[in-house]
Amino acid sequence: MATHGIGASVLRKEDDRFLRGRGQYVGDFRLTGTRDVAFVRSPVAHARLEHVHVPDEFKNVVFTAKHLTGIKPIISAPSVKGFKYSVEPILATDKLRYVGEMVAMCVAPTRAEAEDIAGAVTLEFEELPPVTDMLSACEPGSPLVHEEWGDNIFVEFSENGPIEEVAKTAAIKVTKTIRTARHCMFPMEGRGVIAYRDPRLRYLTLITSTQFPHSVQTGLCECLGLDHGLVRIISPDVGGGFGYKGLLCPEEVALGWLALQVDHPVRWLEDCREHLTANANCREHHYQITGYADADGKLLAIDCVAHVDAGAYSAYPISSGLEAAQIANLLPGPYVFSAYRCRSFAVATNKCPTLPYRGVARSGVCLAIEAIMDAIAREAGMEPTEVRLRNMVRPEQMPFENVVGKHFDSGDHPECMRRAIEAIRLSEIRARQQRPEPDGRLIGVGLSFFVEQGAHGTSVLASWGRPIVPGYEQANVKLTADGDVEIHVGTHSHGQGHETTYAQVAYEILGVNFDKIKVVQGDTLYTPYSTSTWGSRSMVYGGGAVANASRLLAKRAAHIGAWLLQTDVANVRVADGKVIAGNSSVTLREVARAWYLQPQNLPPNIDTGGLDVTAGYRAERDSGTFTYAAHAAVVAVDPATGTIEILDYVVVEDGGTLVNPMIVDGQICGGTAQGIGTCLYEIMPFDAQGQPLASTMIDYMLPGATEVPDIRVLHMQTPSPYTEFGIKGLGEGGAVGPPAAIVSAVNDALRPLNVEVQDLPVTPERILAAIDASPKRATVDHA
Amino acid sequence: MKPVAFDIVRARSLAEATRLLAESGGTARLVAGAQSLGPMLNLRLAQPRLLIDITGIPDLTRIEDTDDSVTIGACVSTANIEDGRLPGRGLDTLPAVAAHIAYRAVRNRGTIGGSLCHADPAADWVSTLCALGAECLITGVNGKRRLLADQFISGAYQTALAADEILEAIRVPRLSAGGRCGYYKVCRKAGEFAMAIGVVLNDLDRGVFRVVIGATKGRPIVITDARDLQRADESIDDDAILRVFDKHGIVDRIARRQKLAALARAYNQAMKP
Amino acid sequence: MIPICLTVNGRVVSKTIEPRTHLADFLRERLNLTATHLRCEQGACGACTLLIDGQPARSCITYVALCEGADITTVEGLEDDPIMVALRRAFSKEHGLQCGYCTPGMLVTARDIVMRLSNADQARIRTELSGNLCRCTGYVGIVRAISHVVDERRRGELAGIVRQEGPLGPVGARPAGSNSGRVTNAPTAAPSARKETSLGEIALGLGGRQPNVEIKQSFVVSRSPADVWNFFSDIAHVVPCLPGASLIRPPAGEHVEGKMSVKLGPITANFVGHARIMRDDAQQRGVIMGAGNDQSGGSRAAGEAEYVLEPTASGGTRVMLTIRALLVGPLAQFGRSGIVEDIVARITEAFAYNLEARLTGAVSVDDQSVQAPLKVGTLFRQVMWARMKAMFATIFVGPKP
Repeated sequence: MATHGIGASVLRKEDDRFLRGRGQYVGDFRLTGTRDVAFVRSPVAHARLEHVHVPDEFKNVVFTAKHLTGIKPIISAPSVKGFKYSVEPILATDKLRYVGEMVAMCVAPTRAEAEDIAGAVTLEFEELPPVTDMLSACEPGSPLVHEEWGDNIFVEFSENGPIEEVAKTAAIKVTKTIRTARHCMFPMEGRGVIAYRDPRLRYLTLITSTQFPHSVQTGLCECLGLDHGLVRIISPDVGGGFGYKGLLCPEEVALGWLALQVDHPVRWLEDCREHLTANANCREHHYQITGYADADGKLLAIDCVAHVDAGAYSAYPISSGLEAAQIANLLPGPYVFSAYRCRSFAVATNKCPTLPYRGVARSGVCLAIEAIMDAIAREAGMEPTEVRLRNMVRPEQMPFENVVGKHFDSGDHPECMRRAIEAIRLSEIRARQQRPEPDGRLIGVGLSFFVEQGAHGTSVLASWGRPIVPGYEQANVKLTADGDVEIHVGTHSHGQGHETTYAQVAYEILGVNFDKIKVVQGDTLYTPYSTSTWGSRSMVYGGGAVANASRLLAKRAAHIGAWLLQTDVANVRVADGKVIAGNSSVTLREVARAWYLQPQNLPPNIDTGGLDVTAGYRAERDSGTFTYAAHAAVVAVDPATGTIEILDYVVVEDGGTLVNPMIVDGQICGGTAQGIGTCLYEIMPFDAQGQPLASTMIDYMLPGATEVPDIRVLHMQTPSPYTEFGIKGLGEGGAVGPPAAIVSAVNDALRPLNVEVQDLPVTPERILAAIDASPKRATVDHA
Repeated sequence: MKPVAFDIVRARSLAEATRLLAESGGTARLVAGAQSLGPMLNLRLAQPRLLIDITGIPDLTRIEDTDDSVTIGACVSTANIEDGRLPGRGLDTLPAVAAHIAYRAVRNRGTIGGSLCHADPAADWVSTLCALGAECLITGVNGKRRLLADQFISGAYQTALAADEILEAIRVPRLSAGGRCGYYKVCRKAGEFAMAIGVVLNDLDRGVFRVVIGATKGRPIVITDARDLQRADESIDDDAILRVFDKHGIVDRIARRQKLAALARAYNQAMKP
Repeated sequence: MIPICLTVNGRVVSKTIEPRTHLADFLRERLNLTATHLRCEQGACGACTLLIDGQPARSCITYVALCEGADITTVEGLEDDPIMVALRRAFSKEHGLQCGYCTPGMLVTARDIVMRLSNADQARIRTELSGNLCRCTGYVGIVRAISHVVDERRRGELAGIVRQEGPLGPVGARPAGSNSGRVTNAPTAAPSARKETSLGEIALGLGGRQPNVEIKQSFVVSRSPADVWNFFSDIAHVVPCLPGASLIRPPAGEHVEGKMSVKLGPITANFVGHARIMRDDAQQRGVIMGAGNDQSGGSRAAGEAEYVLEPTASGGTRVMLTIRALLVGPLAQFGRSGIVEDIVARITEAFAYNLEARLTGAVSVDDQSVQAPLKVGTLFRQVMWARMKAMFATIFVGPKP
């Protein structure tokens, strides 16, 4: 491993500007004459919109649906059989379908004044009974979010394995009902858009905080009826995404339209209230799951009905079906069994649309399957980790296709689990549990195990019929006239450090001075078309593309270098920023000088494509990489107050070849913190009328430094056999494991009281309610 | 999320502030740091026409030190109390409580008087000052008066201040050498509002043995003689506490558990020798 | 617009500002100092943390007009600060940042920890950091980075800067000077926001919808049920008993139009609406069905209030109220509505007091000057109990689900 190549914990190139407050987020751009936009949003969950009253003095600065002529609604309709698509107007037309839906756009010199105007606009509407719960939404007679559908189901997925025989004979049958909480993704920077016309280059330009610049471009073109050549999307520094910025926002369309009407730039910066109450939520699932096992804890079958509350509309381009599809095919997780039946439904409700959040569906399915493993362990009288080990794929079985045909590429799952058991000191915890704690708290330990499919390729996603299917990823790599390297990629880092890790890939091949490698991203004008950064794909796909382009560049440079060295190209290699032939070499700077400035020195058969190359990449097998991990938690539950403290947390992960272990650890720890939020703190509750009830930061709780322990991360590295350098996708896994591990630990702690909690988030109130209902009603210990 | 338009005036004296307040006809709010009011303004939940900033009035940041008490100006910041800038003995509770109110950046501008006047039932100062038997020194257009903290707080977000009155200072009695104060709050995360607060002041040398149950839906519950809650062996009597909950309409089973735990833990702290 | 003069990163800055401008917007939009970030604008997330008089403070809930003469330092002004230099190095080395958005606020808090707490261990660092949210890192690298710099400082490697104790008031506060004390001009309020808008035809009551507020209250007055029932027959007499309530025009049969202002600490909701009052003489039971809009905040309420009279043993009357209401909009969107009960109780108490005073003749029935014993500021509920709940649900506290 070279100092800055693959595998080195190189410090990040991005850090300097961020640490000096010089990041450039959407809100930091200053364009002369910019006006601010505030939206009038629906105060009700379901209604017929009858009239929008705009005071006369604001008629020229307030825009409603009737102004938005020539604009198409957002339609994200995968071609999956039976999918019912939603028509999402940019500004509400005849119906309001969730609290926060946009109705009017108000423009003023400052945001405060725009909000004043928004406050002066009044709405007339006739309220309709709202659909607020995904289960009752499926009942006959439920009110309908989209009347034309006839029901509230976007789409249903099913796996119909033969479970009847197994069910009849299995020694152990366990059933769990689990609800996960709808919550918010809450990147620290909200969404934000600046839109303006660029007459010189003839672009409608949007500076927007997105993970998907090109998808926004395509979606915007579709809605506004423009060609791609007339729309430029700039996504500057993005202050976190996690899926929240992986879509075409109606605000982007609205501001794009507005910029074409007015002669000044317009800006909308999402505020916290909009984030919490109006924009996307995530992760609301319901599982009714049954597991069958033999008396020794060998899993025989899984039978599940799952629902996803997808909210009112299907987001572009991901669609509202993704989460339910993922549930059906990811629920089996890492376990080996042969009979699987699952029906999963994406259900429309009068709540804001949901988007896939880091580890789409997986934190929920991991919680569900691991609850079943724990329950089997209890029935079989076994240590829960033993049940898991018994049902894992053995290393000699790799690569392995599971019950739904997921192709696990490599690794040693049981070893990962064993390392986690050792690291969390399971036997010591079991011994500690034999005596009461001095402070009266109850100690519990729990582990979860999962596989993280990342870097999904065309073969996985084409069948879902999405409007934009990922294909090859491309990178443009060039030598500048100084011999420096400039890399242009279509993926877009929103915290993952791609400016550093892509540079490491190029360094690995070209060996130029690391400080002289620059990565450019986040602008459709300068980067190859890409489905961009989501689904733990960028290092595999973008990294592969950078590698291929760097190799091609090296080849071109070698050709010139060989000429300059007066030797045959077969005799040279590129390394350390040089073209080397035996003991002599020329630097890539000299090569670049020759190409750009002194063409008379070039070989006669020069490739006039020069030192600026674009190359693409697709994994040799594009069914995804399979990172896997064990998460282990030790918790202390205070039975008097219901509060939970995480005393220790260990992650053992095999993410294949690690490009930058420091960054990998950061991804795992950050994901784990989010998973802790999912498990213990975060919920966006709604009342029966569909009013979101956590509109402030006092209502909505995010984990802070005191709620996240000093997470210990251990690695295994089994390279993927199918990808460049053996890299596997791993950006999401951290968020997948915590709910299952922590709930398992909490229930382990509560075991003396013979009660369990199952729904998320596990709040003190839920702990106390469980204790309160305990047959062995605990005496309240004041400690 | 920007506030509606308001004006700000920086009062130079108490007299000026009370006059401005009286003249405003109820459309003005005092600000003594704006750490509770600020969020409500930004959310447009509070829409006063005028903010009267009283932090520039020198009288309001004075600390007066006597043998048996300390009088803290209403605009003394919570961070300064945390940092132990109150002179003399018998006040250890104040910095200890201060250190766990919200966050340091908020404590640097949040003031003890501002918090008390905001009268949030879950606020630490509300319960603590009621338990310590603090006195509120009030100035109005028509003169001065004093109220005990538990009379000053009249409900959720409600105080006994008249429309033209200002809380000038808070007089906190010193604990005697053997006095102890226990404080326990149940929070889901650091710096958050409490789900339950228990405070027990055990200072029998001064004849005080007071209990406060905080983070209720309204005023804190103050029990002036904690011996009513003791068993013969001086341990705390859960049943007696549960009867207090019954009396005050605390019926939610989970709230009862948390409040019982908070109170019992505060009690145990206060009874430690 | 008012003038403001303060020091920013060592430079004296004089500008004219709208009083509602908070410090972060002033720095970002007026001075183009964009290192200070905004996220929650509620003082909770810490992204906007900067130094006022050398101490960390929230710039989103500190209005620039409150900072006359103050000394503001942003991350841009700490380029060469030796502790900041060490923190930058440590944050990079420990990977204490990813997207970088929380980073400036995080660094300001980190610097305060290093300067103020020379013995801070990891647990203390975490507690001190609890007001700065990071969504990317899981805090692991941040805590380690700060820990390193605390150690460096303790070892004397970062001597130089010493934290100084300031005055006892809030940071940024200065004695009000000669140009203080003046109300410059009445603010131009949101142009139409305070105007009473017509509701048009709206459905009264719940109309079968499920309420999100339900409250029961009762009180006792000394007069007989017959007297009370009779008093209740004239809505124009009842309304003044309700803190905050008034009629917009004389009642027309069962139909009344009125407004009600409910105050909850600094929050005021001004509901304007209609109600229909129905009375059942035989059972001495009344039902009020109403609906209204909050003129200041855009919330809406609809609801039904039922009251029943019952004689008490001592010859008085127990009035029992049941309120079921549906509140939508900003005032409804809070998790904790427990405090509703306290407020309704206090308003009911005030209502009972006023009612008693009028029934016993202590106060003329037409006298609107008498206030409840508690100070509810502007009075309460009239046509529609429904609206009040708006207020209640507003509250900022209490247990969450």
